[in-house]
Amino acid sequence: MMQRYDFLKAIAGDAGDALAVCTGWGAREWWALRPGDGNLKTRTLGLVSSIAAGLALALPHRKVIAIDGDGAFLMNLCGLPTIALQSPPNLIHLLFDNECYEASGGTATASHVADAVALAKGAGYKHATWVKTPAEFRTEFVQTWKRNELTLIATKVEPGQPGDLPPLRLDEIENKYRFMRYLEETEKRGILNPGFDSKL
Amino acid sequence: MDAKQHALWIVAGLKKAGIDFVATLPDEKMVEVIRTIEGDPGLKHIPLCREEEGIGICAGAYLAGKKTALIMQNAGFLNSCNALTTTCLQFQIPTLLLIYYAGDMGDRGFTTLGSVTEPALQALGIRYSILRKTDEIDETLCGAQILAEDSKKPVAVLLTKNVLGVK
Repeated sequence: MMQRYDFLKAIAGDAGDALAVCTGWGAREWWALRPGDGNLKTRTLGLVSSIAAGLALALPHRKVIAIDGDGAFLMNLCGLPTIALQSPPNLIHLLFDNECYEASGGTATASHVADAVALAKGAGYKHATWVKTPAEFRTEFVQTWKRNELTLIATKVEPGQPGDLPPLRLDEIENKYRFMRYLEETEKRGILNPGFDSKL
Repeated sequence: MDAKQHALWIVAGLKKAGIDFVATLPDEKMVEVIRTIEGDPGLKHIPLCREEEGIGICAGAYLAGKKTALIMQNAGFLNSCNALTTTCLQFQIPTLLLIYYAGDMGDRGFTTLGSVTEPALQALGIRYSILRKTDEIDETLCGAQILAEDSKKPVAVLLTKNVLGVK
């Protein structure tokens, strides 16, 4: 079985200017593969999909990728029907299921019995599918991008990551500002409130 | 007391404050407010299953330029404390929290919830105002939103029965 990095590597070249919301090790891996200010690393376990959905709803013309893990996915199950109710077509929800809380010490999650694809379909996702290999993953990702309908693409992975990943050299605040400035630049409009001093 | 009229005033106040994106999870006392939001083409309405995910959705929408509010009961505020801390406060992301004050003085059945609400807001460092009079709706909501945007933090407005026009 492959690791998450192998699957992310397969799609990094196809992600274009999509916004990516990620967390934990997945964030470091994604940044290494597709560096840039269109990446956001979240802190609240479970909220990757919800934050990505908020972005997708606010920017319906942009692709938004959520890079989720099984522990986070299971923690925010009630977020799935909320997302499905809105069904943002531009949201691509990726799930890397290593059946453990890898970033929290590696104890087991319930995902060896709970089927994430069945959960997403049951919650109302238009499409949800398991894939097995990085090549299948890439095919599904490209198809999802073209189809433009809410989709979960899930795959089982081995825990672990490459040993030579570059560190992320930014904290939450810098990440937020760079992400918002990137959106201002690419959307060609002001987003950040300039604040009190702008009137002086 | 006319809950529908009060709901119109509250939603008008939200729009004057610039809010255009509202996530909600109902309390019985706020049903008319939520129905009014749902029927308003100027507001994007996101019904929630649990309040914490609403913090995530509002945070994502804020990053893309939306002016967001989250409408919930104070039990839902307690449900969302981790997300408020590790998403809103840690990333300095504002959102307007409209919280029904169950267990407020004069409200039956939720005294325990009522007693921890203000201390929990204080512990998180979230500034709040208790809205009791209809003629203070616009000033309070607009002021809270200015404070939220300027401080880049959530700001809470606690809604009471009187201001909602319910018994």
